[in-house]
Amino acid sequence: MQSAVKQLFHWMPFLFGIGFIAPLVAQTMQSWGIAAPFGMSPIAFGLLIGAPWGFVTVLRGRWL
Amino acid sequence: MSEADPLLKPAPVTDLGLAGEIRPALPLGPEGLDRHTRRDLLKEEMAIAEGFHGGAMWPYAVATFGCFAVWLSFFPLAITGHLNLPLAFVLSCIFATGGYVTSHEAMHSNIGRPGEKYRWLNEAIGAVSTIPIVFPFSMARIMHLEHHYHCNDPLKDPDYTDEAPNALMAWYKTWYNRQPGVDGSIHHYKRILGEMGTPEAARALKETMLLQLVFMGVLFTMAWSGFAIEAALLWWLPRHIGLSYIRFYLSWAPHHPREGQTGRYEQANIFKSRLGHVLSMCMETHLIHHLYPGIPNHRTKAAYLALKPILEKRGVDCSAI
Repeated sequence: MQSAVKQLFHWMPFLFGIGFIAPLVAQTMQSWGIAAPFGMSPIAFGLLIGAPWGFVTVLRGRWL
Repeated sequence: MSEADPLLKPAPVTDLGLAGEIRPALPLGPEGLDRHTRRDLLKEEMAIAEGFHGGAMWPYAVATFGCFAVWLSFFPLAITGHLNLPLAFVLSCIFATGGYVTSHEAMHSNIGRPGEKYRWLNEAIGAVSTIPIVFPFSMARIMHLEHHYHCNDPLKDPDYTDEAPNALMAWYKTWYNRQPGVDGSIHHYKRILGEMGTPEAARALKETMLLQLVFMGVLFTMAWSGFAIEAALLWWLPRHIGLSYIRFYLSWAPHHPREGQTGRYEQANIFKSRLGHVLSMCMETHLIHHLYPGIPNHRTKAAYLALKPILEKRGVDCSAI
């Protein structure tokens, strides 16, 4: 159980990228009337930003 | 006795005809006061400080539960579209930041000590106040008391990681220390609690984990339900702004430069804040809090002004206020 929780928190930035950053990017774009490039849906674009950003944060240990 | 005996050795004589090395009759402390003077000053200091303990603490309870209720109401109001989001964002930042002040009183049991009538209120205020910054009371209390026990000790003071060479770097560090791979802020606290290994520390770790999971759960649920901006402006961003503000004004500003400042009268500075006493959360006179944690936060300035002559004799730099 403890190990599972540790793993969950270790991967939390990645989950945060998918669970929060992606929809935040998508809804902010919609709110400001900005269209996603290459005919993508806003949420697909949000996931394209949020998921890799969160994954890199897990590896680097820093958001920026 | 031989000629080499130091007791027989004549003292060097100066032009004034006095011994070159003048020694006081009583050993002096670092501030140049002998122990009798220090004891008398301490007695006087304690007598003055006694008058500033206690007082009405109900405003802390009203502020805690009132602000928490208003903040909670923002969520359904935002979802139903009945909220002025920019105003709610500003208020959420204030609630997140100010919550630490009310919680801080509870950490020192200033609202109700164990066994007293209002102990339950003390614990309730502590538990509710820091929810917006996702910092459980159990962890906050243990870490804050450790900070008091080992103030400015580079190895034992949990807040030592906030130290920075200047104000700009201190602001940056408030953000940097929260990064997932950096041993600062709450990550540093988690590590210390893990090393403590006491039942209280284990409970604090468990509550921290639960609160963080609830926080993430709320953010993810709101975001994927179409309320990501609302979640960001009501909880995520106010939490980050609040934590940075708290770290800067409650930790860096009153304790800088920390290094070697471990003596009773050195643990915090008397400083003048650009934002004033209230907006700096009464931290200008934080030294009083370290000397007498039982004095409520809002009375530390009055206590400082009353104690100022004694503090000056103790060598405290009181030039700022």
